Amino acid sequence: MVAVSRRVGRPVVTALLLATVAFLIGPIVLTVIASFASSWTGVLPSGFVTLQNWREVLGLAETFGSQRSMGWDPLVTLPIGGGTTVMVPAELAFSVGLALGGVLINLVVGVPIAYAVSRYDFRGREWVNAVSILPLVPGVILGVAFLRAYPELSGTSVGLIVGYSLLKAPFMVMAVQSEFESMPLRRLEESARSLGASWPRTFLTVIVPNASSGIISGLIICWALAAAEFNFSYIVWAKGTQPLALFLQRHISNSSFTKAAAAVSMFFCIIAAVTLLLQQLGRRGFETRGH
Amino acid sequence: MTDGHASTDAPSAGRRLGAGVADVLGALYDPVTERDREYRRIAALCAPFAVLVLLAGLYPLAEVVRISVSTAQYRSLGVSFEAYATLFGDPYYRSVAFNSLWLAAGTTAVSVALAVPIAHALEKYDLPGEDLLVTLVSFPISLPGIVAAFMILVLFGNNGLVTAVVAAITGGRPLDVAFAVSVPGLFVAFVYSMVPRATLILRGTYAEVDEAAEEAAQSLGATPFETFRHVTLPQIRPGITGAIILTFRTALAIFGTLIVIQTLVVWTLQISRELGNGWNIQVAGAMATVYFLFTFLFTVLGLRYTSAEVGL
Repeated sequence: MVAVSRRVGRPVVTALLLATVAFLIGPIVLTVIASFASSWTGVLPSGFVTLQNWREVLGLAETFGSQRSMGWDPLVTLPIGGGTTVMVPAELAFSVGLALGGVLINLVVGVPIAYAVSRYDFRGREWVNAVSILPLVPGVILGVAFLRAYPELSGTSVGLIVGYSLLKAPFMVMAVQSEFESMPLRRLEESARSLGASWPRTFLTVIVPNASSGIISGLIICWALAAAEFNFSYIVWAKGTQPLALFLQRHISNSSFTKAAAAVSMFFCIIAAVTLLLQQLGRRGFETRGH
Repeated sequence: MTDGHASTDAPSAGRRLGAGVADVLGALYDPVTERDREYRRIAALCAPFAVLVLLAGLYPLAEVVRISVSTAQYRSLGVSFEAYATLFGDPYYRSVAFNSLWLAAGTTAVSVALAVPIAHALEKYDLPGEDLLVTLVSFPISLPGIVAAFMILVLFGNNGLVTAVVAAITGGRPLDVAFAVSVPGLFVAFVYSMVPRATLILRGTYAEVDEAAEEAAQSLGATPFETFRHVTLPQIRPGITGAIILTFRTALAIFGTLIVIQTLVVWTLQISRELGNGWNIQVAGAMATVYFLFTFLFTVLGLRYTSAEVGL
């Protein structure tokens, strides 16, 4: 007699996997489809194909009130044809910029500490490792702390950038650490040193360039997570241009279903682009482990 | 140049702490031995991170702890434990804490229970399109809680697909079938955010499982389930414990999902409400302090007394 688990084990586990993938991805696909529909009041969205939702969300059509779409700000004036001004969607550009700022801080703080933990053995190494890869506090609590400690600064771009960088730093450290752990660090360092390079020079011109794939993956992951950060932004944001996540929340709470779908789909496009970029670097989606 | 810190290699028993600290600082400032230089490098490598954690993390948190025991609303004055008395005395806050804990514990149990077979299938089976499946399962990791909540509205909301299909089959009204904006809906939204994270952690654990032992068990006549139960499970147990700790922390930190599906008041949502309703910073600060201490102790004890592996 064949054991039950031999007959049904693998099909059942595989079916569970496929059901979970359907549960995770089904609504994403449905949202993208609905963003091109003019209404969704029946079983399925109807009135295809319209770009009206996308136009309204991106601020290319007239909107008002809480369903207000993105404003457009001038970014730079190009010296073509007597000064052509390049306009960008304000909320999108604002979040892209904030996330970039956070990522730059992550680069400076994350790469060195990942190297210290991967390369050297010292007392308290386990603790330094745990502190660098475990989030210190969640976004809501960091938001409250920022409001209290830096009342003037917390709602500004600087406050948001610093907050994002602390919240997302663990992902940077993990991505870089996984790259470092696959490299012969000691041999690289000793070779460079024996050829006469100083230690700082070895670190900056030998170690860091060799780990570039892990570093770039970490930057991309941190950038995407910072661009989507909601909890911290919700607590500290006061006025002015909204970060992207707050813009999404406003549409999810206030807009018609199809228009909210367009706003969320726009965000999916960003994440999909980021995922493709990560795959070019040899990673399967949002994982910090490359090997 | 004879100096004190060369003796770090053989510390005398009677050395006082102050002299030890001075030695370490001296070694960092003016290293003599190769070991000293290495310590200086380690300190230099950790310094930028330490500065960020200090300025953006520890100092603001210290200010929050300070204001939570302040007698004034806008300034840190005096010492009063009124906020904590409210927190531990008022049954309302007890119910908020209870909501947070059972929701986080329940969703963690479901998420990790789902993540084990998913990670097993992805790592052990040779499935066609495995890379694509991995990408799809990890895609939602990058979605904020508000988007996870929207996904649940798309499936189980008043116009949701599952709602419509179930209503059509049973003949019920969609509004009676829809459950997105309810506690079960919130539960499913939490699971949506947490399953991909738990899977990511467990896949890392599975990658280190000794396959030779599994093959040996199989060839000695063990069924696939017996092999899993007695050979694979003991090996992935530290990973499961680690996944439970990290997923539970994630669940407690969720906030955006609750802004969209406001059916249950949990700790994070209540913190935001304390600030919204008249800037009640003492109570909000006390809640933040309790939260921080709880997750800190819980993580430290979890790592200390289990063989959990933490790291993604």
